[in-house]
Amino acid sequence: MQVSVETTSGLERRLIVGVPAARVDSAVDSRLQEAAKTVKLNGFRPGKVPMKVVRQRFGQSVRMEVLGQVMNDSFYEAIQEQGLKPAGRPEIEPKSMDEGKDIEFVATFEVFPEIELLDYSSIEVKKPVSEITDADLDKMIENLRKQRASWEAVEREAATGDQVNIDFVGTKDGEEFEGGKGEGTDLELGSGRMIPGFEDGIVGMKAGEEKVVALSFPEDYHSEELKGAAVEFAITVNAVKEQALPELNDEFFKMFGVEEGGEDAFRAEVKKNMERELKNATKTRIKTQVMDGVLDVHAELQVPKALVAQEIDALRNQQMQQFGALAEKLNPADILPDDLFRENAERRVKLGLVLNELIAAEEIKADADKVRATLEEMAASYEDKEEVINYYMSQPQQLQQIEGMVIEEEVVEKLLEKAKVSEETLSYEEVMSPPAQEDEED
Amino acid sequence: MNQERIYKVLLGPHVSEKSAMSAEAGNQVVFRVLPSATKLEIKNAVEKLFKVDVVDVRTVNMKGKVKRNRFGLSKKPNWKKAYVSLVQGQDIDFAVAE
Repeated sequence: MQVSVETTSGLERRLIVGVPAARVDSAVDSRLQEAAKTVKLNGFRPGKVPMKVVRQRFGQSVRMEVLGQVMNDSFYEAIQEQGLKPAGRPEIEPKSMDEGKDIEFVATFEVFPEIELLDYSSIEVKKPVSEITDADLDKMIENLRKQRASWEAVEREAATGDQVNIDFVGTKDGEEFEGGKGEGTDLELGSGRMIPGFEDGIVGMKAGEEKVVALSFPEDYHSEELKGAAVEFAITVNAVKEQALPELNDEFFKMFGVEEGGEDAFRAEVKKNMERELKNATKTRIKTQVMDGVLDVHAELQVPKALVAQEIDALRNQQMQQFGALAEKLNPADILPDDLFRENAERRVKLGLVLNELIAAEEIKADADKVRATLEEMAASYEDKEEVINYYMSQPQQLQQIEGMVIEEEVVEKLLEKAKVSEETLSYEEVMSPPAQEDEED
Repeated sequence: MNQERIYKVLLGPHVSEKSAMSAEAGNQVVFRVLPSATKLEIKNAVEKLFKVDVVDVRTVNMKGKVKRNRFGLSKKPNWKKAYVSLVQGQDIDFAVAE
């Protein structure tokens, strides 16, 4: 077998492989002999078909089959011989494959780039330092109250932010139109659910009042007939409701799982949750910065197109799953073109390659103690911690995911040792509002 | 001889264990032919259609098989088989021939 390698461009390699004819012919012959014993042909008893006839009948197709196999085998032999690591599937193009002659084929493929671990001391990481102040805590509790708010009927004029219960009938040129009627509808003023002006008209009305509002539909309304039409709405307000925040009492605390201890315990619980979130957000921030830094250091790195294409597909599939049942009717490539994912995919492939190299070089392994610690942290927000931990421990696949997380953390730590770390003080909210770039999973 | 007969005489190759043996031993090709075909017609047809040289033609009249079906017995039609000897070294490849 003769092999010659050419570098066409960047990561692309071209292999020209020659295979002696004897190798193919002997394989074809043995296949045919095998077939002759079992093949059924009209005019011959089974197993009595002469070789000559068998060859005439099946020679061509068997040869094609054998050729494909031989090319595949010899391709892998060749890359092993040459010590190449192909990324993605090779493109094999036969050059000569006539009977009796030596076979030659050209395989074009991409190789994994040689990754040199560079100097990571140029990476700059700003470590956010922040504390949860009482003001942050108050704000969080206020948010929680708003989530649990209820509506209470009041005897006063409706204002923005209130909820009203209304009946309304819309007329156009004195006639009712489709969809312009509603009874007992709840409407939050200021939510912008109705056409402009409708909600403004209700502001100032009391329960039981009636009013006719003259409005015109916006020009970009979706219904052809009503586009820009002048209409009148007769509105009857049944009730005006005010948002009532729940009081900070034991009942409210119970909703969040704090049974005992009153306000102090509740505040402590909320603070604990906030601290955990803060810790995670801080970690994510640092990680994103480290990853960005690594990418900058390896800006020159070329990645195989085949891998990027694979990654694009994976990302696209993820996206398609969000469409649910609708996805089956659509051609993914149509609505989500490759370019949408290219940048992200390239980034991920690059990072994956570099990090793998780093992991191999630094001999980073998932430490059982650390896996356990991570698990416990994850389980902390559940009620039955032991059960959660046991569940993960019993599922190798899930466990692997956790190990991946641990390894990733170790890598980040290793890189942090080398990087320039400076601290910056941020408020709780600044840390929590996610940085523009998405969190990188690997 | 009538030129149209050339295209009518040969009905198809006859493939069997015996035909394979005679091809091996005597360089003969076996055809199923019209029962009315003469040896000369067969020779001409084979030479013209397959561009080979024919040394000898021998023919056999084959009796049609008596088959049993739900109406009792019925007879398949008689047919003619021709063993055509070719000049040494020549061959007919039916996969290529038109």
